[in-house]
Amino acid sequence: MKDEENLVEQVALIEIEPAKDTHRWVAITALLLAIGIILHTISPNIGGVTPNWTIAMYSITISLTDPSFKQAAGIGFIAGLTLVPSSKSAFPLGNLVSDLTGALVAAMMVKSMVKIGLANFKFGPFFTGFLATMASGAVFTFILKLILSLPLSVYIYAMLPVVATVAVLNGFITQVLFAPAQKLFFMQGGRKK
Amino acid sequence: MSADVVKFNKFYYAYPNSDLVLKNIELTIKPGSFTVLMGPSGAGKTTLCKAMAGIVPYYYGGRYAGTVEVLGQDTKGKRVSDIAMHLGLMLEDYESQLVSLTAGEEVAFALLNHGFPPEEVEARTRKALEDVGLPGRENYQLDELSGGQRQRLLLASVLAVQPKVLVLDEPVSAMDPEGAASLYKLVNSLYQKYQMTVVVVEHNLNYVLPYATDLVALKDGEVIAADSFEQAALRAYDENCLQCLLPEIWQVKLCLQKRDGVSLGIWRTTDDAIAELKAVYGRANDND
Repeated sequence: MKDEENLVEQVALIEIEPAKDTHRWVAITALLLAIGIILHTISPNIGGVTPNWTIAMYSITISLTDPSFKQAAGIGFIAGLTLVPSSKSAFPLGNLVSDLTGALVAAMMVKSMVKIGLANFKFGPFFTGFLATMASGAVFTFILKLILSLPLSVYIYAMLPVVATVAVLNGFITQVLFAPAQKLFFMQGGRKK
Repeated sequence: MSADVVKFNKFYYAYPNSDLVLKNIELTIKPGSFTVLMGPSGAGKTTLCKAMAGIVPYYYGGRYAGTVEVLGQDTKGKRVSDIAMHLGLMLEDYESQLVSLTAGEEVAFALLNHGFPPEEVEARTRKALEDVGLPGRENYQLDELSGGQRQRLLLASVLAVQPKVLVLDEPVSAMDPEGAASLYKLVNSLYQKYQMTVVVVEHNLNYVLPYATDLVALKDGEVIAADSFEQAALRAYDENCLQCLLPEIWQVKLCLQKRDGVSLGIWRTTDDAIAELKAVYGRANDND
């Protein structure tokens, strides 16, 4: 061991980062969004609240792959696009804006956690899912408020509490599904994020 | 261009968060050789193979020093997929290298990714499958093939790009003796047919003894011997942990050479050994 330490001292070793997966994030996004759409279609309404599976799925994707903001915007836009055809709201196109916002907030959350040294924080996915849903829901309901000319009190006291409830539910879903998804996508070759 | 197909120049390597696994590797693989890498577990044989393919250090990351040249070109700055066009690597866990649904798609995968025209992809796929004894299996699902056939399919995928160097990392570790002997017979026939350079990591040197021209012995990440099979085996015989890895008949041969000071030939098979032992020691007994 001593000899090896001496050897390392004598040889100028060059440190090199592992190669980045260039396309894995695309595959993960596609698969999880597809799962999200299926769950979104079949998921029952429980007590007036339905989890937003799409947001939970892109929150997991973003937590797993830590994409750039540009990539996150792409993920959010595609996620929003998938919701437009099946949306029963007064303004389906609002999903494009709301999910783009949600994905960017999720990316911001993940990057902030990495920056402050909490990349491996156990409950990070919960907060990512929660905040992404809060942001997406707040934007979507605000658009509805504008389109339907609803009073601010309805937005604050009726819509936002429902958004917050769904956000908590989504936080749990993101947290619970994160570990199996991580195991599934990063088990090959023993490489983990 | 260098005359050596693979050349390591003072190469050191450590995986991320690990100690050095390769130390001061000075090694050349001669063109047209059938080189066998031997050594105890953890000696760095697989890492050495991965370094030839550029996977180490440029994919795994870590710390390194020195250079690795493949066909005279430094692997630094080269994409692994580009190196694979010249140096085909078959890993021990061959299943992890299979990515397609059918045998034909599997063989065509690398060719299509490198933009070969469809007619050439089809022709090369057909020929590669014929070469490994799987003719006409293009449309077979991978799960319709046995383990041994899937291994030969991977060999076909590697051969389809017509590499000049074929690197096999313990290709028969999960095979029975008949299957192992059959695979090496196939590898040897391809080696002869295409005049390629073959590098094989093998624990059981009995399988490769009939074909090996060169031997590289590794221990604790360092090259102990690298020479013609006979010379390197002689050197490896002096190392306790390597001696037992040599083919049994060579352990006998080298022991007799040392003990009796006789010079024995290059034994490829047990029959060679018996014939020469009878000739040398039978005569000696007659004289007694």
